[in-house]
Amino acid sequence: MAALGRASRLLLGAAAPRSLPARGVAAAAAHEEGGARMWKTLTFVVALPGVAVCMLNCYLKAQHEHERPEFVPYPHLRIRTKRFPWGDGNKTLFHNPHVNPLPTGYED
Amino acid sequence: MAHQAHSYHMVDPSPWPILGAAAALLTASGLTMWFHSNSPRLLIMGLISTILVMFQWWRDIVRESTFQGHHTPTVQKGLRYGMALFITSEAFFFLGFFWAFFHSSLAPTPELGGQWPPVGIKPLDPMDVPLLNTAILLASGVTVTWAHHSITEASRKQAIHALLLTVLLGFYFTALQAMEYYEAPFSIADGVYGSTFFVATGFHGLHVIIGSTFLLVCLLRLIKYHFTPSHHFGFEAAAWYWHFVDVVWLFLYISIYWWGS
Repeated sequence: MAALGRASRLLLGAAAPRSLPARGVAAAAAHEEGGARMWKTLTFVVALPGVAVCMLNCYLKAQHEHERPEFVPYPHLRIRTKRFPWGDGNKTLFHNPHVNPLPTGYED
Repeated sequence: MAHQAHSYHMVDPSPWPILGAAAALLTASGLTMWFHSNSPRLLIMGLISTILVMFQWWRDIVRESTFQGHHTPTVQKGLRYGMALFITSEAFFFLGFFWAFFHSSLAPTPELGGQWPPVGIKPLDPMDVPLLNTAILLASGVTVTWAHHSITEASRKQAIHALLLTVLLGFYFTALQAMEYYEAPFSIADGVYGSTFFVATGFHGLHVIIGSTFLLVCLLRLIKYHFTPSHHFGFEAAAWYWHFVDVVWLFLYISIYWWGS
């Protein structure tokens, strides 16, 4: 949908910011002047409520915390061919001691 | 004063192209010094000079267009071609990382346990924060379109609100991704799964930051009356880039987060 908008802008140049031609009931029904109003309505009725619902979903999922998996020293994981150019060279950039074990196991 | 007999823009001599090249050289050699000689000094010089060149070069373009009127329709057409070609090149850039992901995930090797995700990897739940991030980017696509229509209809207040919402959604995405990176039970060093995941999503995140910055600059220019209802290509370029970032995320979400879990 978003790609269509981009494609129509590319093809029509300066004339582009009109409603997408005949795709979807809302676009077909909108007049020239109503373009911004339609997208404003879509923002507050569809887009932002959709974000809110997903936020609620994440909040509910976070209520039951998962136990972290047991450490198994698999050779194909936690690869250290070359030390990282920061700190002691053994921790990744977003290292989280609680969920990221070092090659030798969890730190805590 | 002499007038030009054509509609193109013959740009005044500028130091930014060559200084930009020098900044790129400093950055590239700086990365090497950091990785191999444990010294970040050259890299920091490179990054600072890159930012300074970008700021001054684009500032000059705003001066040439908004304040000096050099951007005729002909010039604008060239800029449209340029932005479209640039975005196309970025699409190919991401194509490479998707190729790498499918190469490794469609035929997982015995070293990984012959499965995808590899043995020992607990992938992120695609219906958790990644789904929220999808909703955020899709919503920002709607708000940036609202902003565009508001600009063409000369609704200043609405345009500012819509573009501000877009920028905030972009920052929200970045904050959530940073948190996801910190909370993920796997890292970039976790074999080819980690490599493909973090390089693909990492470059995407970088593009979200770039796109958000571009949109923020447009918001500041919008507030300062730089755009007219019929001439606002800087905003259009930012909106195109933002839609591109959204589309890349959709591909990432479907292939790496969803199919790959």
